[in-house]
Amino acid sequence: MNSDTKKKKKRADTLFAYLWSAPSLLLIFLIVIFPILYTGYISVTNMNVYHWNNYEFIGLQNYKDALLVFDNGFLSALFRTILWTAVNMVLQLILAYVLASLLNIKGLRLRNVYRTLLIFPWAMPGYVSILLWKTGMFNSQFGLLNQWLTKAGLEPVKWLGSNFMAFFSCTVVNLWLALPFMITIIDGALQSIDRSFYESAVLEGATWFERTRYITLPMIRPIIAPSVIITVFTTFKQFDVIYLLTQQVGSKTGADIHTILTYAYEKAFITNNYGYSSAISMMIFAMLIVFSWLSKANTKEASI
Amino acid sequence: MRRTGFLSLTVAAAVMLMCGCGAANSKLSEEEAHRIVIWHDKEDAVTGVLEEKLKELEPEVTIVLEKKSDLTESLKMVGNNPSAAPDMYFFAHDKIGVYAEMGILSPITDIIPAEELSGYMQNTLEAATYKGEIYQLPIYYETLLFLYNRRYMSDDAVPETTEELYDYMQEKTGGGHYGFVEQHSTPYYAAGWINGFGGRILNDDGTPGLNSDAVIAALAYHKKFADLMPGETEYATVNTLFNEGMAHATIGGPWLIPTVRESGIDVGAAPMPVIDETGTPIAPYMGVQGIQVLQYAASNKTESVEKVLRALMDPEVQISLAQASGCAPASEECYTMPEIADDEIVMTMKETAEHAVPMPNLPEMDVMWTVVGNLLTDVNMSDEDVAESAEKAQEEALSLIKTMQ
Repeated sequence: MNSDTKKKKKRADTLFAYLWSAPSLLLIFLIVIFPILYTGYISVTNMNVYHWNNYEFIGLQNYKDALLVFDNGFLSALFRTILWTAVNMVLQLILAYVLASLLNIKGLRLRNVYRTLLIFPWAMPGYVSILLWKTGMFNSQFGLLNQWLTKAGLEPVKWLGSNFMAFFSCTVVNLWLALPFMITIIDGALQSIDRSFYESAVLEGATWFERTRYITLPMIRPIIAPSVIITVFTTFKQFDVIYLLTQQVGSKTGADIHTILTYAYEKAFITNNYGYSSAISMMIFAMLIVFSWLSKANTKEASI
Repeated sequence: MRRTGFLSLTVAAAVMLMCGCGAANSKLSEEEAHRIVIWHDKEDAVTGVLEEKLKELEPEVTIVLEKKSDLTESLKMVGNNPSAAPDMYFFAHDKIGVYAEMGILSPITDIIPAEELSGYMQNTLEAATYKGEIYQLPIYYETLLFLYNRRYMSDDAVPETTEELYDYMQEKTGGGHYGFVEQHSTPYYAAGWINGFGGRILNDDGTPGLNSDAVIAALAYHKKFADLMPGETEYATVNTLFNEGMAHATIGGPWLIPTVRESGIDVGAAPMPVIDETGTPIAPYMGVQGIQVLQYAASNKTESVEKVLRALMDPEVQISLAQASGCAPASEECYTMPEIADDEIVMTMKETAEHAVPMPNLPEMDVMWTVVGNLLTDVNMSDEDVAESAEKAQEEALSLIKTMQ
């Protein structure tokens, strides 16, 4: 075979590869890329209640206005969002690791029962879980927590009333919702480690701490890294937990723990100004892209 | 082979998706012109009555009632797309400003001459009017009611003024019991106090009125009541407290009554207490439920639309609705009929409605719910200074309203 036919074959291969992946690429285009482009397009128009059908191109005016949203309130919301993400990620990783390790104890009975129970919060719609927590656990009149406190002779607590308590309560609910995913991933990662590493480590006299530090963690890290990145993003752009627990119109609790998304929602999305809201969405989107580049650079560094 | 099949299917789906929206046909078939789709968000008791009445129009007009839980958002999405939008919708009047501005609503008076609407209560027509045009055919209305549990509060012990109510609350609140509860930090409920002081959340010209003296006075006065209520202010907590006999009285909607009765409570309804400082009763918002016509249907299915509207103008419909679900008829003449005049709840609602303020139907109201919610939370739950919070909320409202445009 000469180099020319080789080249041709390669080109044909590439072409076919694209052809075969065309359906999925088309789908991705339709449900991921197209909405982003469309949002971008709306963000440069004045589409709102007063210009619903007759909206027109107004350039970057919306972006100029949107910068006003990035005020002090937004900055503290951004800071809070970062704190929220950090606290949640650290707790999530530690708890998931501990629980997954417990699941992998040799000779554990009913392992599958525990697994099913632990995955359960994930099978329930988030909205339902959050509202159940809100009324069933945190409610100051009927909630289980306060009923226990009163039974124990203590003062009832407003779980969602102050900033600190609300942040704490939201974290608990978020952990409840997010742990199943992390446990599953770490559980899978733990099982993929060859037992012989541990056997020789034990023979060499390594302690439990040394085995964890030098065998388990380095070996599960590459496996769980992508899930951690995904979770960082879902935590960063978490809306439901904080909004439903503390900010819902008609049941605000007095706590101000806005994250950037709930903040942008109150500042923009309720105005029915689609152009303006799209501009804000595009800016948040850009921020997420920057964060994703940063975290990518970090994981690359870490894996070297 | 299977892959090419999938590929062509995807392409076909994509092509259909892109062309689908543009393919509205200009000429309606005979069958389509006589088919009227009505969106609503109502419970079965209400739709049952409507369905039965509208069945009479068959076979000339076929009516399809479709329940949409997210009606307002869906209408925004498809309102100007005749192939996806309904012909009419049954909903509260407070959204007509938004849809009229969007250009998807047709004035009712294009189909029914205005003089024929004179039998409706004046404030229901006021509620249905946006920028001088009537966009809704009123059917029934709701206001909040002062409800009390007869086990604790006898009919003659019902407080007539707010100070009497306050004394009652001070005396009875404690040990898990509450003299009176309401959703004190929810704008819809607190509006009754604000209106009673002569304040307005949103003025008729679309400007917010939150830093007015009347609103500030109302909030400051209302706070002492809120202090004797539970910290939670949402629907579930407040209504459960009343439902379980832990709260002696509440301000709630008529929709609450069936569940309360089911739990075995002898519930009474009374006129709103008079606010001592102003001499006017607590004046809650009035929500008028009725039917709106979309522009496309009004110009392309005029005949069928008119038939439906005329059928729903029959006072008998309103009476059946009042009997089926306790709603108050919008037509003045219904109140002389014995079926209505003997109904304690409906008559109390009528009395409350004399002072009630129609919920603003301006598009600006959309942002006010959130702003006022924050203001009430700041004052009632975070103990912030009333005047300062009101000033802050006013600025916030002005900036959000500016953002709407």
